Amino acid sequence: MSLKYGVLGLLKGEPLHGYEVKSRFEAMLGGTWEVNIGQIYTTLQRLERDGLVRPAGPRGDRGKLLYELSPQGQKALDQWLGEPDSGPQQLHEDIYVKLLLATRVANGDLQGMLARQKRTYLQRLRDLNRLEERARRDGRLDLARLVRGALLHAEADLKWMDELSSERFGAEGARTE
Amino acid sequence: MSELVRLSDVTKVYQGGITGALNGVSVTVEKGEFTAIMGPSGSGKSTMLNLIAGLDRPTSGAVIVGGTDLAKLGEAGLARFRRDHVGFVFQFFHLLPNLTALENVLIPAQLKGSEVPGRARELLGQLGIEEVADRYPARLSGGQQQRVAIARALINNPTLLLADEPTGALDTHSGEQVMDLLVQLHGRGQTILLVTHDAKLATRHAARVLSVIDGKVVDDARLEGPERAASEVIRVRTEEASR
Repeated sequence: MSLKYGVLGLLKGEPLHGYEVKSRFEAMLGGTWEVNIGQIYTTLQRLERDGLVRPAGPRGDRGKLLYELSPQGQKALDQWLGEPDSGPQQLHEDIYVKLLLATRVANGDLQGMLARQKRTYLQRLRDLNRLEERARRDGRLDLARLVRGALLHAEADLKWMDELSSERFGAEGARTE
Repeated sequence: MSELVRLSDVTKVYQGGITGALNGVSVTVEKGEFTAIMGPSGSGKSTMLNLIAGLDRPTSGAVIVGGTDLAKLGEAGLARFRRDHVGFVFQFFHLLPNLTALENVLIPAQLKGSEVPGRARELLGQLGIEEVADRYPARLSGGQQQRVAIARALINNPTLLLADEPTGALDTHSGEQVMDLLVQLHGRGQTILLVTHDAKLATRHAARVLSVIDGKVVDDARLEGPERAASEVIRVRTEEASR
């Protein structure tokens, strides 16, 4: 997810200064990410350089600067929102590489690795379930939808482990170079 | 906690190699636990439940429930065991169509020779369906029928509540209500074994998940209870704007 468009989206509602952008961004993410204030300022400066945001008046208290969306920024945001996510699927967890290595490394204990990973996914499902319930309880339907997406991914990961451990798909297929 | 169920090296072979066989399963369940048995269809998870319920006998190995070795019981003894110690909830409710909800709930009690219509009504009340007591199953929704089935399973205060895909025939909302009921029962100390192929359901409610694949228990996971901070569960990745 791009911080750039997240910031543009937040500025669409009203002009904000850097610290407000940070706190609203974190609130929107429901605690799933802590944003560094430095990242926010860097992002705002680059957006200003590219003409997508502009100061909304002179510096105020303690040098605070309010930023607002420029017409170009509005256009860029609308275009981004309208585009589907494309590009390669991101597999950024270690398990993908571990799985490839397990069959090449001597004594690669594939079944053990799958069982341990599966347990992690079960715990993840449980934690995600709790998080979804909490989001719904707090009236955060948007966040619940995000968690729901993560839940379905975790369920798929778990199914994948089951397929790999079952005799039908098992070590046989995974051993193939 | 004390041990309530023990399977020792249990094997179940079906003639003709039908799926659902078990191959050397050893597992124990403690009193008061809420355990999910998870696995793909044909993995043997329902077979495990049927053996624990005394609905079927193993080809070899021992099934011990509440200290009783089920192999030592004859057919009558097994029927008594089921009546007194086991409550069973099925995917398709299995209510008798020519009896009212209340009469269905009372069957296990009558088999035991006890008349407890008061308790049956009370159970229906606890399950939120007292008003349908005198209706026939055909006039009940799926969720209502499953709640009647749960009341029937509970009427004799079973030591063990066994549920085989209890939400499988229900829409999401009714399914959640049924699961909430099971959670409440567990909160009051009921030992529950839930068979499901649904990992989300299993991990949401049970603190222990047994994974069955190809007739073997391949994993026994005890899941941690305390809630975690959102950032420990999900990280939404953000990238800085390009230079």
